[in-house]
Amino acid sequence: MTNDVLAKQLAGLPVKLLHHLARKRVPRHFRMGKNRLIQTLLALSPDQQAEIETSLASLLQEPARSPDLPKPPDTPSRPSPPRHNVPAEPAPAISTKELFEGIGVPPQRPFKPDDWQQEAINHLATNDVILSVPTGSGKTYVALEAMRRAIEAEQTIIYTSPLKALSNTKLTEFSQTFGSDQVGILTGDRRDNPQAPILIMTTEILRNLLYDAASGEIDMRLDTLGLIILDESQFLADRERGVVWEETIIFAPAQSRLLLLSASIGNPDEVAAWISSIRSTSCHLIHHRNRSVPLRAAYLDPSGKLAPFFRTRDIAHGKGVALHPETKRLFANYEDRTLGPRKR
Amino acid sequence: MPPAIHPVDLLQALRHQRLTPAIVFLTSRRACDEAIDSFEHRHVSIPATRSAAITHVLEKMTAEYPSIADHPLIPTVQHYGVAAHHAGHLPSWKIAVEELMRQGCLDAVFATTTLAAGVDFPARTVVVTQSSVRKDRDIMELTVNEIQQLAGRGGRRGKDYVGFVVVTPSPYIDLGPIANGLTNHPEPIDSQFLLSYPMVLNLLKAHTVDHIQPILEKSFAQFQINQRADRYETKLDEVETQLEAYGQRECADWITQWQSFTLAKKRRSHHRLKTRHDPPEVSAQLAFLTPGRVVELSKDHAIVLRQYRSRGQGYAMLTVIRSGGQIVEYPANTITAVIDEIIDVAEARKFPWCTPHSLKHAIETLENFPTRLRRLPIRVDQDGTDSPVLTEMLSHEFPCPTCPARPACQKDHPQALKLRQEDHRLTKTIHALRTELWHRFQQHVEVLQKFGYLTPACQLTPEGDWARLIRINHSLLITELIRMGAFEGISASLLAGVLASIAHDDDRPASFPGRHPALISTLGQVRKVAHSLSAYEEPPLLRWDIAAIADLWIGQPTLPWSEFIRSTTMAEGDLYRLLARTLEYLSQLHGLRSTHPGLADSARDAMDRMRRDVLQELP
Ligand SMILES: Nc1ncnc2c1ncn2[C@@H]1O[C@H](COP(=O)(O)OP(=O)(O)OP(=O)(O)O)[C@@H](O)[C@H]1O
Ligand SMILES: [Mg+2]
Repeated sequence: MTNDVLAKQLAGLPVKLLHHLARKRVPRHFRMGKNRLIQTLLALSPDQQAEIETSLASLLQEPARSPDLPKPPDTPSRPSPPRHNVPAEPAPAISTKELFEGIGVPPQRPFKPDDWQQEAINHLATNDVILSVPTGSGKTYVALEAMRRAIEAEQTIIYTSPLKALSNTKLTEFSQTFGSDQVGILTGDRRDNPQAPILIMTTEILRNLLYDAASGEIDMRLDTLGLIILDESQFLADRERGVVWEETIIFAPAQSRLLLLSASIGNPDEVAAWISSIRSTSCHLIHHRNRSVPLRAAYLDPSGKLAPFFRTRDIAHGKGVALHPETKRLFANYEDRTLGPRKR
Repeated sequence: MPPAIHPVDLLQALRHQRLTPAIVFLTSRRACDEAIDSFEHRHVSIPATRSAAITHVLEKMTAEYPSIADHPLIPTVQHYGVAAHHAGHLPSWKIAVEELMRQGCLDAVFATTTLAAGVDFPARTVVVTQSSVRKDRDIMELTVNEIQQLAGRGGRRGKDYVGFVVVTPSPYIDLGPIANGLTNHPEPIDSQFLLSYPMVLNLLKAHTVDHIQPILEKSFAQFQINQRADRYETKLDEVETQLEAYGQRECADWITQWQSFTLAKKRRSHHRLKTRHDPPEVSAQLAFLTPGRVVELSKDHAIVLRQYRSRGQGYAMLTVIRSGGQIVEYPANTITAVIDEIIDVAEARKFPWCTPHSLKHAIETLENFPTRLRRLPIRVDQDGTDSPVLTEMLSHEFPCPTCPARPACQKDHPQALKLRQEDHRLTKTIHALRTELWHRFQQHVEVLQKFGYLTPACQLTPEGDWARLIRINHSLLITELIRMGAFEGISASLLAGVLASIAHDDDRPASFPGRHPALISTLGQVRKVAHSLSAYEEPPLLRWDIAAIADLWIGQPTLPWSEFIRSTTMAEGDLYRLLARTLEYLSQLHGLRSTHPGLADSARDAMDRMRRDVLQELP
């Protein structure tokens, strides 16, 4: 195979497959764009190129050129990309018009908590709770309601966030709900309203408090601490700071309920099982992936043209990827344009 | 990297489909700033009513955060309804932008992907322009978690029927990872249990050493380790079940017995005449290939004059005389047959290895041989039975040569041995896993004992008792510096400068205000200490320009922020974070007031001077 033919074949492949071919042959191939990848692959030793041709042949064998893809108008010589992951008989892809149907602002409705929110609040009376639900679902409502109940029971509450910036936002938010006299904030050098029932701090500060309490020297009372809320608790897996979340959970007072708010993670059940295994009550997991506002995906071409990103309107979960043909075409054109003149 | 589409056109396209407000995630701060700048050159302003609303919100925010008042980006925000939101900005400005977004005043916020967790406000649409991010020095593909964290900000509950994630290309974007990120299950998270010196000290302050292991076992790290260990245990059980078939035989531990037997056999036979290279058919022949033996060599005949071993490899070799009188050397295995005929040959010590008389006799005999001679049948033991001598030698030490179980042992040994090795390997792995944390703890204990923070009985020394209160990175360096009096009598600003250079872990270059000798010499001393501790703790960067910046802010209490930020090329958000971090470190020194009152006072002084202007706005 001449370089030219190989170059053409490579250009017809999705970038994903190019990365596949480059694996173990091109260092840091994942940093490269399509053009650089192709050029680097073509510059490999003849031996390696022969290997690539072999893998290429086996890749190209079974999926035939897709008949339903219109050829890009401005690059007639370019073979259309082979199809991958497309089911044998796909449902018709949606139109751009359909994609953008139904945009708008819903009417105001009286607030009614979701079942999972209620479930979380109820369980917090007796259990620790992990809330692993999609972004923007309403975890804060659970936190606020649990705080309200704790205050009614004359307990104190500690709310931690990983970032000082978030602490400040929460200070404002909680002050609006409970009144500013009810909320305090602790940093390394400042204590604003430390006698308030709700205290906001970073997780490191709470960990330090817990160590001080363990060695019996603390100027703050932890025996009335009824609720500890750890926001963004997926930080448990942070390379440098994750250990602080572990220490906090291990040393959290037995009488305090833990409420972990987390973005979606793959194994919330494992985290719940761990917490159950070390605490006096079991840890209840609330986990779902249903977004309260449905999410759709679009592709915006540099020309300003919008197209559906997927063949379907809603984003399907874990069902394999089926990009919209129009998006594929636009993206292929984009790559052609930006990759510059191809080596002849 | 900027997106391929011009930011103004991007926003136009979104507006056209009613996809605003939007958060546009870009790769770098610069890309965000440039995007905002680009609006200046394309006059597409927002309606006056919205500008007024923006002004109103900003005024309200300014009451709380005065530093917003003169922000250079305010006019852009007012005219175009767009803002940048990234770590280069002051927290107060970011709070203002977030509030504007919440109030629905903005059409777009350009933010960096790196701080996605800090972007705690939703929008109708999220624009994604990249499939990988810079992490430290590497470019990493975005994880499913990260992509969902970004995309999840699309669609505001109560304000949107539907939310959007819009993908638009920039250099190095790939659609595959984004599509996967949007549809796949997020990755599981793993424990990152880093042991630190302060952790060890604090644990030993509250608990005696024999209570530590159970505490470590409560960690998520141990929980996950146990799950892994359990999986190994299951495997181990399987292996042990399989091993049962190879239980006790004539001897209790036949696997070991057989192994040492075969080992001994190998070793002995190796020493003895180095016969190990001979294939069985050759060693069977060797006994017959004595001087005078007639042999067949590829259809021709020859008479053996001598048998010997080659120097290097110890191959069996022959010197023969061929018909025609040539004297040649051959490896023994080139002999095609041994003939049932021996002639008299008188040996000699050197070439031609026999007496001249014998040589003559041999040549004559060869010439007179008939073409066909009787071959000697030689029995070759294919299973390599040991030579009688070896067997005799080994049976003194091993029962194996005569044991009835011998054929079974020989057959089963490879499989049994494999299983037993697997058994040992698994047992070791499981043990290592289960005790891993404890070992790491003990390593830390040893270092703390070496430096005198812990007694040999693992109790806190008086030094350890205060050192445990320094619960930050580089704690060992800081406590050692305190112990050697490095901070005694130094000014508050110099103290802050040193701590800033310890705290700062970013090596992005920045310009700096002038250096001064006290700072250079103090940092030189700190660097030496840090270097001497490098076996126990990663040394900090200790940049003197960073120290000089902190020193400047604290040393000149009347210097306003606006002037301060002009003294360096660092972004003001970075400056703010550097000083906030230094405050954190200073507050830890202040915590030592009962044992180190002078140092604590100095730290307090530095903190008070630091907390002014924008550094006073937020707790
Ligand atoms: N049951 C409900 N019905 C209607 N709206 C709700 C409900 N619960 C919460 N909301 C609204 O949803 C929006 C998002 O909630 P919230 O900020 O708590 O999300 P979150 O889960 O904390 O998201 P993040 O992952 O970004 O922290 C808020 O405006 C809130 O008022
Ligand atoms: Mg939240």
